[in-house]
Amino acid sequence: MKDVVLPVLMARSGRRRAPRADPLFGPPLKSAAELRRIMTRHYALAPYAAGARPVAWVTSGAPVEMLRAFGCYTVYPENHGAVCGARRMGPELCAEAEAAGYSQDLCSYAKIDLGHALSGKGPAGRLPRPDLLFCTNNICQTVLYWYKALAHRYGIPLLMLDAPYISSARDEGPAVAYLTDQLRGMVPELERLCRKAFCEERFLEVLAASRRASGLWGEVLATMKRRPAPMTVFDAFVHLAPVVSLRGLPVCERYYKILLAELRARAEAGVAAVPAERHRILWDNIAIWFALKPLSRLFAEHGCVGVAATYTSAWAETAHMLDLKDPFGSLARAYGLIFLNRDLGYRTRLMASLAREYEADGLVLHSARSCKPYSIGQYDLRRKLGESLGLKSVVLEADMTDFRIYSEEQVKTRLTAFFETLEA
Amino acid sequence: MVPVSRGRDPGTPGPATPTVAAVCPARVPAEIFWAHGIRMIELWDPPAVETGHAAAHFPPMTCGVIRQGFDRLVAARSPGPDMLLFPHTCDSLQNLGSLTRDLMGESRPCLFFCPPTGRSDGTAEAFLEVQIGALDAELDRLEGPVPPGSLECALDWGKRRTQSLRALYDRRAAGGWEVPNGRFYETVRACEHLWPEEAVARMEALLAEPSGDAPRNVPLVFSGVVPAPADLLDRLDALGVRIAEDDFMACGRRVTRTEAQERGDNQIEEGGNPCRILARRLLAAPPCSTVGSPIGERLSFIESLVARSKSKGVVFLSLKFCEPDLFDVPSLAAGLKARGIPVLSVDVELGPATPAGLVTRIEAFLESLP
Repeated sequence: MKDVVLPVLMARSGRRRAPRADPLFGPPLKSAAELRRIMTRHYALAPYAAGARPVAWVTSGAPVEMLRAFGCYTVYPENHGAVCGARRMGPELCAEAEAAGYSQDLCSYAKIDLGHALSGKGPAGRLPRPDLLFCTNNICQTVLYWYKALAHRYGIPLLMLDAPYISSARDEGPAVAYLTDQLRGMVPELERLCRKAFCEERFLEVLAASRRASGLWGEVLATMKRRPAPMTVFDAFVHLAPVVSLRGLPVCERYYKILLAELRARAEAGVAAVPAERHRILWDNIAIWFALKPLSRLFAEHGCVGVAATYTSAWAETAHMLDLKDPFGSLARAYGLIFLNRDLGYRTRLMASLAREYEADGLVLHSARSCKPYSIGQYDLRRKLGESLGLKSVVLEADMTDFRIYSEEQVKTRLTAFFETLEA
Repeated sequence: MVPVSRGRDPGTPGPATPTVAAVCPARVPAEIFWAHGIRMIELWDPPAVETGHAAAHFPPMTCGVIRQGFDRLVAARSPGPDMLLFPHTCDSLQNLGSLTRDLMGESRPCLFFCPPTGRSDGTAEAFLEVQIGALDAELDRLEGPVPPGSLECALDWGKRRTQSLRALYDRRAAGGWEVPNGRFYETVRACEHLWPEEAVARMEALLAEPSGDAPRNVPLVFSGVVPAPADLLDRLDALGVRIAEDDFMACGRRVTRTEAQERGDNQIEEGGNPCRILARRLLAAPPCSTVGSPIGERLSFIESLVARSKSKGVVFLSLKFCEPDLFDVPSLAAGLKARGIPVLSVDVELGPATPAGLVTRIEAFLESLP
């Protein structure tokens, strides 16, 4: 693969000025520089993958291990959407999609991606044209509608892994069997599309690497159980990128070893992410990418630390299910049984357990306008957790990337009032 | 054929008050309910009841089908339906089912039905067969097992209902039949709540009406979730528009149209096992956004509707916040335009009255047609 621009970009990514010390926060995480380097490299290499390896665009909840076994270069439009959101490019790219007829009410990740496909705009330049799309509807049905639109636009195959919604009222066995059958059936399809024979040994290696990386990510998150917490969920939102985008690759595992070592050292030394930590918060739903910094600051000003998030936990939740003795069946369980694919009763129990484990005394629910599966039901989750755990809570009406529908003052007022109730 | 409304024993008169199931959109094996003597009422756009419950439980970006359905279910808790069915049609419906079950507690059985999405191959068919079997078993548990022959009888009625619907659509598409839009859809949509024999009788009565003068109206194809708002059909009559064919999720997307499809239906019957036959029937229905049909298939289907009804254009009535359809519409509209078919795409909401702006846009569209 030609690597001409890469050294320049990577050198630039490493040449960031050291952040100034801020009395509200502990020292910044040193691993962040390595994270920037890894993710810059990932996006910088992407354009050169086209033609050299099959390029697949993948949903964040898809069993990427299948693609890695065939040497695909994977691009995650949702991660790209988050990057665009953090760089405040969300509205510009959404507007490109809206100009092509997509409703303003649709998922902003999807609109950013469609807007990018239409215009080529984005912080990392044009993403490589996909050769195939790989979609799993375990995180939402929206990804299927979105990927169908991409498949139609590019005229390329869409590999669909249909993950039936798991209801506590029904036996999950048939759903797992259906997923397993589909995964097995994908092997010949991928062999044809990638023009490469399936190598079980390679597949098992990837599966093992994926399990280790997800496990490490779980341990990274678990460091926030410590008081004071050595990092916050706002850090976790950022450091989530490798387990989403690079799962199953050695670099992912390597990175989380570095991060975990740093966090454990901080925890041992009593280094706090927020020295004035008084209250510990559980966050529900995707991050508000364009407002990470101001929100993190507002939390810290009130002695509040986000210590857990349902969103960040999703990539660690079921990794332990991956079993090399039953690769397809365990892959089906690990990806089919994630909390976003389960009913509200399960979500309530999961959140209650997170609140207890991380000793959270407050709950912030981000009602993301463009994310229906995550946001519908939050009013009831809030009520139930309040009744069962006495958890105080607040709902923030916002979006993950589209700040046209974000009222900074309103969010600030609501959060400030909420933080005051925690002090009461 | 023995009417299914006679309940679970085809030889005896039907129960005075049959069990009623409220069923959410979009695709369910109705025959399973009929076989159990259960009257099915589909909840697409029930008349709004302002209970305030939807506002208390759902964020503002939830579509009208969910909000009105929820208000109706909660408001009608007593006496209301005896059971509820929530197919996993979209993210919002999944959460609606979960929420309603929590709220209803033990007072009403809440059933779930999970059809495959984005796939229609043998793996999907096998899974769907299992899902239908599970629903059948659940109804057996609640209502007792069906007597021998009941399911076969229900299957026959399902086939007959489809044939009647197809005959209605064929006649509508051919033109020369001056039945107002409202009357046509009142008959088609009666299938959402009538026993199949009642629905078939109503359709046959309409079909028996003589043809009128040559059509003077402008034939158009409409697409969307349901014909909404409620008075839209009358407004279209006044504008001189005939919905000659439709791709409504609640109507035309559930009716196989062509002879080739009918031949396919007959092959489906060769499956033997009733659950397999029902799985094949559901998978053989026209393409729909809710089951993840490829956009190319939907485009070809709508194009075929335009051709067979000699329509002058296509109108997309996009229900606000309905993600499955909203994602498809831009590509469908672009595809149809590229084929020289005029397209109008407008947002609509459920409600009693058509906004003046919508009428104006349809008028302007009519004026722009060649």
